[in-house]
Formats: sequence, structure tokens, C-alpha cells
Amino acid sequence: MGNVKVRDYDNVRKEGMYNVEADVPNITYDHIGKRGVRRIDGYAKASGKAVYTRDVQIPGMLYAKVMRSPYAHARILKMDTSKAEALPGVRVVLRYDDSEIKGRTLNGSVGGPDRMAPQFSGFALKPESVILAEEAWFEGQAVGAVVAADTEEIAKEALRLIYVEWEELPFILDQEEALKPDAYVLLPGAESNKLPDDRELFEAGDVEKGFQEADKVFEFKARRDAHLWAGAEMPSALARWTEDRLELWNHSQHPYPGKLLLSEQLDIPMNQITVYSPYQGCSFGERCNPADFSINGMNVLTVLTAKKAGRPVKLLFDRAEKFYGESGDMMVSYFKVGVKNDGTITAVDMRNIFAVFQCTPGAEHLVDNTRIPNLRCEAITADVSKAPAWWDRCEQLPNVFCLTMIFDHVAAELGMDPTEVALKNDGCEGHGMEFLTEYKKKNGYPVRDSLKECIEAGKKAVDWDNRWHAPGEKKLPNGKMHGIGFTWDHEWDDTRGTASAAVWMENDGTASIVAQHADVGVNPWTTYCQVVADELGIPVEDVTIKPFDGDHIFSLMSPDGSCNLCSNAFVVRKAARKARRMVLDLALDHFEGLEMEDLDLKDRFVFEKANPENRKPLKDITVLAMPMHNAVGIYTEPPIVGWSWQQQGIWGEAMETGRPRLCRQSHFLEVEVDTETGAVEVTKVVNVNDVGKAISPETVEGQMYGGTFMGVGRALTEEMVWDPQTGVLLNRNLLDYKCATILDCPEADTIIVETEMGHGPYGTVGVGEDIATMIPALLGPAVYNAIGIWVDDFPITPDKVLKALGKL
Amino acid sequence: MKQYLCPYCSTKFDAFEDLKAHALAEHTGEPAPLPEGMIRLTLNGEEYQIQVQPEWTLNYLIHDKLGLTSPKMFCDRGACGSCTVIMDGRPILSCMTLAIECDGNVVETAEGIADAGHPLVETYVKHHCMQCGYCTPGFITTAKALLDKNPDPKEEEIREALGGNLCRCGTYPQHPKAILEAADILRESEGGE
Repeated sequence: MGNVKVRDYDNVRKEGMYNVEADVPNITYDHIGKRGVRRIDGYAKASGKAVYTRDVQIPGMLYAKVMRSPYAHARILKMDTSKAEALPGVRVVLRYDDSEIKGRTLNGSVGGPDRMAPQFSGFALKPESVILAEEAWFEGQAVGAVVAADTEEIAKEALRLIYVEWEELPFILDQEEALKPDAYVLLPGAESNKLPDDRELFEAGDVEKGFQEADKVFEFKARRDAHLWAGAEMPSALARWTEDRLELWNHSQHPYPGKLLLSEQLDIPMNQITVYSPYQGCSFGERCNPADFSINGMNVLTVLTAKKAGRPVKLLFDRAEKFYGESGDMMVSYFKVGVKNDGTITAVDMRNIFAVFQCTPGAEHLVDNTRIPNLRCEAITADVSKAPAWWDRCEQLPNVFCLTMIFDHVAAELGMDPTEVALKNDGCEGHGMEFLTEYKKKNGYPVRDSLKECIEAGKKAVDWDNRWHAPGEKKLPNGKMHGIGFTWDHEWDDTRGTASAAVWMENDGTASIVAQHADVGVNPWTTYCQVVADELGIPVEDVTIKPFDGDHIFSLMSPDGSCNLCSNAFVVRKAARKARRMVLDLALDHFEGLEMEDLDLKDRFVFEKANPENRKPLKDITVLAMPMHNAVGIYTEPPIVGWSWQQQGIWGEAMETGRPRLCRQSHFLEVEVDTETGAVEVTKVVNVNDVGKAISPETVEGQMYGGTFMGVGRALTEEMVWDPQTGVLLNRNLLDYKCATILDCPEADTIIVETEMGHGPYGTVGVGEDIATMIPALLGPAVYNAIGIWVDDFPITPDKVLKALGKL
Repeated sequence: MKQYLCPYCSTKFDAFEDLKAHALAEHTGEPAPLPEGMIRLTLNGEEYQIQVQPEWTLNYLIHDKLGLTSPKMFCDRGACGSCTVIMDGRPILSCMTLAIECDGNVVETAEGIADAGHPLVETYVKHHCMQCGYCTPGFITTAKALLDKNPDPKEEEIREALGGNLCRCGTYPQHPKAILEAADILRESEGGE
């Protein structure tokens, strides 16, 4: 031992841990942006060994099922559970009027001034958002009782044995019906079915002045019916109490906020709760959020039932139960648009009438991405007898729908090429391109015209100049009508949300990202490891992530915060840079006379920048930084752990955060329409996305083609059908709700543009929610180009096409 | 009157002693008959003898009772292919098959395919055939059954074979690439032997 000096990170201490800007490494992209990086989750998923919530079983666990309302609107008058309670194998029957659950409401808020607000659980401002209801507001609502039994079959049988006397009440399915003055009012005591929402009216400029300046003013109506996520894994939750400690395994994107919600609802100290987040079978934002009405209710019921049973309880949804809840874009829209003959849009006035819930009012993308100076958007929400709607890959659906409808109708009215109309109006908050150019120059971004690049690449790929034609004029040899459509946007705000993580370097020089994170399939873990590997100058094989443990203090963002990589890469990069500085500090002992700034890390070596031959293996340095050691004869250093936290901007308010959107995207879609049957076939989709910088190109492409098939489904075949006589959802299964199979998929081109103008780290922009949100409305202009008539009623099913053609 | 049933051949006897004499005379040396509800199954190359209930599905047996997580419940009713296992060479829906009817059958799951080092698993990883990964084992089993039967499939035949497998993330374009590459690897390794 003798004269050995313990460094204890002298420099890092002097500077303070947070001074990562002191030496921003000049890294090379050895893994970032490279193809062929092996997916961390690949083997576990392909081999079936990945464990999802549905797969988790623990000794002694019971199975629970919830009663569902068979009526669209009904009240329980009398409920007899005695037969269910007497059934062998039934361990707990929890009734809506039991003291444990009575009056408990949903918790839909994880922060801000509206804490504990049930309306944010998707119940769209309905006051009656109780967890286990006495009165059902839609068919399929959790009502009456939850049963826990030795098997799922016994639990289901017990529910069948519960006798309920119902009082059936009137219901309404259509939002415009609901708003009629003489409509039955669904909420007792309310004046009408109009739900209050502070986003009701948006105005910028003066629309009347804009219409006066226009050469042409026209109006039209469009409609979007309900669809839903239909994710792969059916939700479930598993709760285990050990004395006062609670463990919860659940189908959730947000395990940590889920813990906060539970703690608030059931008064359990947060340090007594561990929430695990196993693999997640599809997410798409809906029904995987602990604040969503069905997941929040499921978690509470599971925890209470487990407490009452004194045994672990797993509550299971079946496929039908997963169908209650729509995407938040059930809307009827009335548009009035003013436009000059050269394609310049002078004013837009729109009125969007939503059913149940408005994800977004509809005008934001015209604000964020165009120079249209005069805008007015009225967004009304009507209560109807349907399950709460929610964000569903993604809440920008109404904004995208309105932008596509307006731009393509303008092009059609003027007989203009829609790509020219897009370029004519590209901008930001009423400002033109000169404003964006100025911003780019001032803020060190490359000055590139993203929309122009995206349009040019897409036009080439789809052979636009030869394929686009006057509407209704191209009959194919097979007798069908050919059509092609175009749209554009910047679908998602670049980056937002809060996340935290640590990067820990172990004694052998390998690194771990320590943070809980719910995987939703976008290959996030590999991309974080790519970032950390390049920041630390080590091979990506030397980096891993520990995402499952529920007792870390660190937690990374998952989608439905909507910014996975764009937020999380900031966090892991910063943590890696802190760890890097600790390594360099320790390394000074091996490089006499040099300062930290003279050193760098590469290929598992620390070396002198001016003389790369002078180097030491990374392992010789990290081996000293020990979390524990039992010998007294050697000296040790504190572990190498850098942690970081980062908060990003506010979505939908680009200018308020001082971050105008700089990247754009273009989409082209080709169809063949059979005018005899009304059937529409999508034959080709070309997506061009300026993603700023693709950290993992294969992953970006995966989101682009994957989103295409979901988008085509939403446009064409995915439809929720309610029985007008009973208000019952008729097609709550995957045979009658039609998602695309491999045989239904059109050719999907994926073109990546990388301008590095995104506000995420390395210039990134998100892409995961993008294409599925853009494609549905794009079918409209493609079908118009084929038959020369607007259908404007989505999904565009054959009956609607025939009706438009006057054949039905 | 109480009767005794021969467990080997179901002959009835009035007295237990008569049954005993019959069994010794007629059935000495025969393997013991299985009790009702007991099935023999070869699962991923290993022999199982398991007592099942008549209403258990093969999925429930493999997934819930034996703890193999690969056959996934996605659609709940035979519409998605995620619970596919290979039984006697054919891809079948384990959620639509009763376990009690599988006596004497040979069953393979994705775990078995991976443990045997089949090249499909690695080509699936390479081509990003998974996103959330929930449906992936069902694709792997369907693809393995196809390659067993048809070592040189055309892309159209692959699409046809996978037509019953739903993937909500939309990984579809990648599967034919991975399956064709695995087929190449298999043919090369066989050619080399």
C-alpha cells in the first residue's frame, strides 16, 4: 500500500459532477447510424423466451375477472352474488358496494395542477368515473363485481352466476345526434351532452379578412369513424402483497408513474410498492398507460382483490374486453378554406365535432408547419354512449386529418399539383421559409429545405410526374380506376418528456444503462446502447441495459410520452459523458504530466490524444472502481456511475418552446378502385421521412413500413361497428375487426432523409407514431384521384365508394 | 353389483380375484396402461407423461402448466396464429387444440427450435422480424414447419404460409427475407455434409 494515492476523482469533484460540457467528446459514429447492429431483444423474442406480463405466474396466484355491462347505458337495481360466492374455487367476490371499492374513482393524472383528476383517464370530463360502477355509461364498462378464483374458468363461471336486475336507460351513439337541442342528456344534471374542454376555440389572425383576400372560398365536410389499437398482448395485472409491501406486474408503458397513481389512490407509501415492467406486447399509446381508464381500474381492482384474498391475484382481460376504447379521432369536420389562385392559402375556418374525447383539436399542424396567416378552429366534444377514447398512435390523428383534407381539397379545387400547394404554404406560425432559414442560421442548424428534399425523393420513387393524372381519368387494363395521392407534414413535435438513467461502468470495463424502461417494440435498448458505446469509445457488445427491475430510481420515457429515443438518448448520452469523465480522471495516474483534456477513450483504451501510442487498457483503470471489496491490502476507488435527468419541451407548442419544426415528411399512396364493387386496393405507399439522424436505420424503416400497414388498415378495413338498436359493439374480435395480414400488405417504400435538423440529440426526430397517423387520411385524395369524387368518410369501405358513385 | 374393469382391455369381472388372475394370465409383461386423462407427449425432444383435464387446451398445458412462454395468446380465438406450435410436422393453433387429444404426439415450440440452433432464429434477429415480439414465436414455428416441408420455398409460398399470422406492429416485409436466408443456410449446411 504505502505511497499509493487514492485519486477519488479530484478533477471531477472540483468541477462538479454536472460539468459534462467541460469536455464534450468529439466522438465518431462507430455504431450510431450503422446497419447490422444486433438487436438486444431479438433472441429473447424470436425464441419465445421473452417474458410478457401475460406470461408471469407466481405460486398460489388466483385468477380474477371483472363483470362487464351488457347494456350501452344501464343501472344496477339489484345484484345477488350468493350463488357465485358458493361456487367451489371462488375465493373473493368484490362488489361495487363493498367498502373497499365503493366511491373509488379513476386516477388519470400523474402531475401538474390536475392531480387525481379522473377525467384524464379518458373519461372525457364525465364526473362518474368510478372504478367499479353501479351505472354503466357504455356497453363493456367494468361494473358490479370482480371475482377471484382458483382458475380463470371458475372466475368466469362465477360471473355468470351473479344475478343482476338492470334498469336500461337511453343511449346515443352519434355525436351530432347528441348535440341536437332535443337530445336525451346522458349526464344527470347536465344541460346538454356537450362536454366542457378548454381547447374549444383557437384563433389566429382574422379569417374573415383572409376570405376576402382569397380568389376562391370553398366548403366541405369530412368524417372519421372509430378504430382502435388492437395490440397483441391482452392486458393483465398481477399483484402480490407481502405484509404491507406490494408488488405489481402490469401491462404498462409507464411503470413508475403507475406506482404514483396507485399510491395516491390506495394510500400506500411509494417505498412499499415495486412495479415490474416485463416485455410489452404492443403498445401504441392506448390501454398500456396506468392513467388510462381500463388499465388504472384494472390495477386498483387487482391490488384490492389480492389484499382481500390474502393471495396473489392476476386479473385478465380477454380480447373482447380490450375492444372497449376508441382512438381519439371520432370526428365530423366542417371546413371553409380561402385560397389564392397560385395555391397560397389565406384562411381556414374549421369546426370539428368529436365523440367522447378530442385528442387534439385539429389546427396545430397548420400552426406549426404552415404560413397560413388566418386560422380558426372550433373543437366541440359531445358525450355519447361509447367507451372513453384515448391517444392511439397517435393523438395527432385529428391534426393530421385536417391538414391532409385541407391541402388536398385546395389542390383539387385549383387543379394544382398537391406537392406544389405544400411547398407554397410551408412555414411556421404564419411565417414563410425565410423565417425558418433565419432560425436555422442563428441556431447552428444546417440550412436545408426539408420539405423540398422529401417531396423530390418521394416523387422520384413513386414516378409522380408520370403517375399523377387528372381525377377519374385513368382506367387500368384490369378495368379498375387508378389513383394516386400525396400528403405532407411534420407529424410529431421533435422531443418532449422527462427521463432519467445511470451509466455504470463495471470493473471489467463493460457498461450498463441502469433504468427501468418498458419496451414497446421500437428497438429502444439497442439504440441507447449504440449511443453509450460511441460516447464511451467501447464496442456496442460491451454495453447493456437493465430495464426490468422496478426498484431503480431511474426511469426512461416510453411512447405515449411519444418521444422514446429523442428524449432518452439525451439522458443516456449525458450519463455516459459523466462516466467518461470519471474514467479519464482515474486514468491520470497512468499518464504522468497530462490533464484529463489530453486524454480520450477508444476501442477499450484510454490514450493520449497527441500521441495515441501512449495508451492503457480501459480495464486497468476501471478495475479499481469497486462497489465493494473485502481485502485491506489494495486500494479502491468509488464506482464509476454517471446519472442524469433531462426534461424536454412541450408538445404541440413549438414556438412557445422556441423550437420551430424544421424537418418535414412526404407520403404518396397509390390505389386501384373497382367501380363495380366499390373495393379499394392500396397497391403502393412511398414514405419519405426526414428523421434528422437515423441512429438505427433498420429500426426507423421498421416504424415506416409497420406504420404503413396499420395506417392502411385504419383507412380501409379497421372499423368499429355498433348496433344502432342496442348500442352494443358488434365486432369486438380479430376476425371481424380486420387488421392487415401479410397477404394484405401493399409495397411500402421507406426513404430516410437525414438533415440533422431535429431537436433531439444528434439532430434526431421521432418516427414511431408517424406513418400510421399520416396514412389514413391520405387514402382520401388517392381515391379522389381515381374516381374524381371525394368520399371523405373514413374508413373508406366499399359501400361508401358505391354511394359516392351514385350506385347505392 | 360392484364390477371390476381390466385396465388393459376393459373386460369386466365380478370379483377382484378374477380380475387379478386375468391380468396375470393375459397381460403380464405389457406396459402399465395410462390412467384416464394421462397423455404422453414428446415436447421439444423430451418425453412427458402428464395428467390433463378434458377441457385443457394444448396452449394451456404448454404455456400455463409446463411454463413454456412461446405459444402466446393474442386473439383469444384462433384468429391470429401467435399460439402456433408444430405437431407431427404441421403448424397448428395450440389454443384450438385439446391437450387430451394430443396423446402420443410430437410437439415443437419456438424454444425448442431456438435450443436446437435452427438458423431461423438468428436470421429473424438479423432482419428485425420482431418489434414488440409478442407474435414472433408463432411466426418462427410456422416458418420452421414450412421449411421442414419445403426447403426451397418461393416468396409467394412463404407469404401464403404466413397468411394466418397477425403482426400488429407490421413486421411483414421482413419475414420472407429471413426465411429465405435461413433456407439458404440450411441447404448449404446439408450440401456440405
